[in-house]
Amino acid sequence: MAKKNTYKQDERLEEPFDIRHLLLASSYIKKYIGKMAFALLISALGGGIALLAPILTQKALDDAIPNSNAKYLFLLGGLLVAVFIVSTILTTLRSHMMIRVSQNIIYDIRKDLFAHLQKLPFQYYDDRPHGKILIRVVNYVNSVSDMLSNGLINVVLEMINLIFIVAFMLYVDVQMSLVVMCGVPVLAVFMFWIKNRQRRAWQRVSNKNSNLNAYLQENIVGARITQIFAREDENAEIFSGLADDCRHTWMHAVRCNNLVWPGIDAISVLIRAAIFLFGMMLFGQGSKTIGTIIAISSYSARFWQPIMNLGNIFNNFLNNMAYLERIFETLGEKVTVDNVEGATEMPPIKGAVSFRNVSFSYEAGKEVLHNVSFDVKPGMSVALVGPTGAGKSTIVNLLSRFYNVNSGEVLIDGQDISKVTLSSLRQQMGIMMQDSFIFSGTIRDNILYGKLDATDEEIRKAAKLVCADSFISGMPDGYLTEVKERGSLLSQGQKQLISFARTLLSDPAILILDEATSSIDVQTEKALQQGLNSMLKGRTSFIIAHRLSTIRSCDLIMYVNDGGITEAGTHDELMAKKGDYYKLYTSQLEDIA
Amino acid sequence: MEEKKKFPKSRLGWLWENMEGKRFLFVIALIGTAAYNILQLVVPHYSGKIIDLFNRVEREGLSLKDNADTLYKLIGLMVGLTLIRVIIVYADCMAYERVSQATLFRIRNFLYDKIQRQDMKFYSTYRTGDLMTRVTGDLDAVRHNIAWVIRSIVEALTLFTSAAIYFFYIDVKLALCILPISPVIFFIVFHFRKNVGPKHAALRERLAGMNTDAQENISGNRVVKAFAREDYEIARFDKSNREFRDTNINTQLVWLKYFPFVETICNALPVILLLVGGMFIINNKITMGDYVAFSFLIWAIANPMRMMGNIMNEFQRFTAASNKVMEIYYSEAEIVDHPDAIAHPERFKGRVEFDHVSFKYDDGKLPVLKDISFVAEPGETVAIIGETGCGKSSLIQMIPRFYEANSGTVSVDGVNVQDYKLVDLRKNIGLATQDVLLYSDTIEGNIAYGASVLTAEEVEKYAKYSAASDFIHRMPEGYDTIVGERGVGLSGGQKQRISLARALAIKPSILILDDTTSAVDMETEKQIQHSLRNLDFPCTKIIIAQRISTTKFADKILVLKDGCIIESGNHKELVAAGGYYSELVKLQLGESLVTA
Repeated sequence: MAKKNTYKQDERLEEPFDIRHLLLASSYIKKYIGKMAFALLISALGGGIALLAPILTQKALDDAIPNSNAKYLFLLGGLLVAVFIVSTILTTLRSHMMIRVSQNIIYDIRKDLFAHLQKLPFQYYDDRPHGKILIRVVNYVNSVSDMLSNGLINVVLEMINLIFIVAFMLYVDVQMSLVVMCGVPVLAVFMFWIKNRQRRAWQRVSNKNSNLNAYLQENIVGARITQIFAREDENAEIFSGLADDCRHTWMHAVRCNNLVWPGIDAISVLIRAAIFLFGMMLFGQGSKTIGTIIAISSYSARFWQPIMNLGNIFNNFLNNMAYLERIFETLGEKVTVDNVEGATEMPPIKGAVSFRNVSFSYEAGKEVLHNVSFDVKPGMSVALVGPTGAGKSTIVNLLSRFYNVNSGEVLIDGQDISKVTLSSLRQQMGIMMQDSFIFSGTIRDNILYGKLDATDEEIRKAAKLVCADSFISGMPDGYLTEVKERGSLLSQGQKQLISFARTLLSDPAILILDEATSSIDVQTEKALQQGLNSMLKGRTSFIIAHRLSTIRSCDLIMYVNDGGITEAGTHDELMAKKGDYYKLYTSQLEDIA
Repeated sequence: MEEKKKFPKSRLGWLWENMEGKRFLFVIALIGTAAYNILQLVVPHYSGKIIDLFNRVEREGLSLKDNADTLYKLIGLMVGLTLIRVIIVYADCMAYERVSQATLFRIRNFLYDKIQRQDMKFYSTYRTGDLMTRVTGDLDAVRHNIAWVIRSIVEALTLFTSAAIYFFYIDVKLALCILPISPVIFFIVFHFRKNVGPKHAALRERLAGMNTDAQENISGNRVVKAFAREDYEIARFDKSNREFRDTNINTQLVWLKYFPFVETICNALPVILLLVGGMFIINNKITMGDYVAFSFLIWAIANPMRMMGNIMNEFQRFTAASNKVMEIYYSEAEIVDHPDAIAHPERFKGRVEFDHVSFKYDDGKLPVLKDISFVAEPGETVAIIGETGCGKSSLIQMIPRFYEANSGTVSVDGVNVQDYKLVDLRKNIGLATQDVLLYSDTIEGNIAYGASVLTAEEVEKYAKYSAASDFIHRMPEGYDTIVGERGVGLSGGQKQRISLARALAIKPSILILDDTTSAVDMETEKQIQHSLRNLDFPCTKIIIAQRISTTKFADKILVLKDGCIIESGNHKELVAAGGYYSELVKLQLGESLVTA
């Protein structure tokens, strides 16, 4: 099991270049291949037509002007205008298409990435800072748009360009052409050298940015903790260190990056000088005329231009690959909790729950549950008690299959829940977790989350049931009050009540309350309990709580300790047994009395 | 559309201010840009001369050998100047990178510090995803502005001006025939700017919106899964993803509307040159050589004009982004040190007094607290109990000045909390909140968060105080176990205990616990209560609790209802008084037991 990642830690660098990433990239392009081919065609056509311009100009200079033929001159000028207009239209057309294509490609990638993230299990989110996930979805995806669309087309165009120029050059003079091209191997070696270096360098940049994002997100969310502990200076220093890492890795990466363009420029001028010198030496020895030298020297300039462009594209490619790798790595992340092949829909749940020899561990080698077995009849209310960290939450988490069991089976109505589809299972379960998460939006939106098509009456009814209606109605905008991010304007107890209403609204067949009422005051809880009892009739429920008043009335109480259930029975049975539960109960009474 | 905000400095003035330390380098870089662009015009001149020479040699049947010296000199100049240019280009690029990274670094640190020192009002106004966009994406646009936009402007101006000067030098009339068309570009680009500006502002909002949506989804992933709402979330995100895409396309399409006109004007230049220049030659007004010189450099007039669109586009992106950055940069928190705040580095005694304190939220109509008065003497334990939403949490948050009283005063050791420096005040207060937030760090790192110089023994001691050492020891890596963001992987009770240890570790003179043991089991809570009574440092405790077992030992219990204190006294007194509190006691004992 991978160790948990923090902002201090770089994510693992992928050593060898993964060819599957390219295949994956091509699958995103495939959808637009027709459009891209068309854009390519238009560009090539535009390029071809633009070649007419120098020819027309040449004609004017050679023919029309020396002969003082104004009419001819204006005709040529007119043709030149036509050439420009056509080529402008074609360029505009290509841009029109490619803007859409490139934005659609990043839209597709982002969509898939987000959808995949929804499938990834708790573990994935638990193992790394959320800022590191976020930066992939938003920032990284933005970076790669141009490479996959225009970058690709330009590579092809420049290649075509290059082939034509080489062909012309060879046609003019083979020997001199070889002189022109002798710079290519030098360049190839240079490119090969920077390839590995740059790949690493950009990976490092992405890592450092990811660390910064992680720290940033955690500290914006936790700003209050920072202030409570007056740790601002220390945090600013840490942040500054992370920002400094970003700066240094960036400077390191661009040091080579910026070398490519001037480097090729330098090579190209040296080659040009070589041609002149070479021409001078060979001049007059038959084959080499001045015309050849001039022609080759102008081709040489044209030969190096596309190479320079390709060099820049290659640079971008190396840069973007660092981001693309991260995106594809996430897309390739295994969905460990997923529908098995041939998974069926979970039929409407009646509520019988059984654990059969269930063992489970979050991390290999450290079992949280060992060989747990129990049976719960439909409609029963079950309380799980025991010391914190004993595995109570784990038991209820397994019931919704948030994790896969290591061995054994979890059965609902006799059906192994690993064989049914996740959504059909979870939609029938109502889980209220310890951390009652409130989304930004209105209170109504938050309750509605439990049942998207609920009417206002249903929402109100659910809120009434959990005794939240009175405080919600007392707010300035009632149910339409905007609760800010994480419900920052609500008290913890109010948040719990709202998330309680949300759970009840979903009308679950099995209700799971995991410390759901810990922050609610005792009187409200009592009122809530009464409402709940009527609603719970006939439904199986699991309750994790420390308050005895909540626990006592349950049909079955299970004492969880050391990865197993050590005692089970009704309140009276367990009291008679005088075991752990008895101790727990009496100690609490002593405290109060 | 959002209103125009006024900042103390202009955008470029603000950039200049933040270039501190690199301003000289920046000016050098600007000069370098001008230099290599002029060189770019000069080099073709020499290669042209070389070709001329070859031509002449052939045409006039001269010997190459006689002209070899000239040729070598020309080639030498061509190569030499190009190499110089190339070196300048590289050095110049790196100078821009250096300046822009230094500026980015400076602004980023400043921004971060600004954000972390804001008050509650700020955090409930700005959402996490939005703030993150400002520190990442928006700042990148600012960086890009220095590294690319400003440089491109210099490049365009240099090329255009030097070519124009050269044109006038060769032939004024022909130059006058060609150049007047170029100012049209400015009108077009100006018009473009007006249209594209709002689009960039909108695009930036979409980016932040997408960031916010994704951020919230990731944070709330447990709820999403619990309700099997993946499809709903995907559809919701798809909306912001789609909006971003469409806005992005629309923004880019704006330039395409102008592009054909700009392109036509740029292309008109060589055509005009051909026609007018051609007529000038026919009429013997200029020589062929003059014409060639013009045509050689016509790109240096056309290209800068072509660049203007892109430059303006990027500049508008910068404008939109810098508005967002500067908004935070120049924002001021309302709760800050008062100018005449007194430094108080010594440890507080811990006397907390509320004197007729009333409070309501800025946007709330209803008062949260009404006329609260009580005193907690040094070393005392005061318990606060009351219904959900009665104002308990607001009350305690007024002690470290997270909220400020609308009327009345909160004082510590007899001094109004507003008269302390925030850092002195808060360093003396240990607060463990309801909503436990741990960092993705080791357990040890989390406990030592407020007091970073703790030894391992001390960490262990505070973990013992909060009854956390047992479960920490049972973890495979003990105190080195990394807990995920918000402490995922730990149970609610475990998180609460670590947060308690964190608050204790700073040895506060005032310890405030906001229902910190609600998710802890009874047995453990008993241990915690015991150690809180036996801390090895003096400490006033203010504890919000639901459980009678917690309040029982308090020196003073305050019962809060609808923002007012309705009962106060110790456990015995309040039970005897037979009010709300005594009802509560009965309730928690369990009805059956009481009625029996």
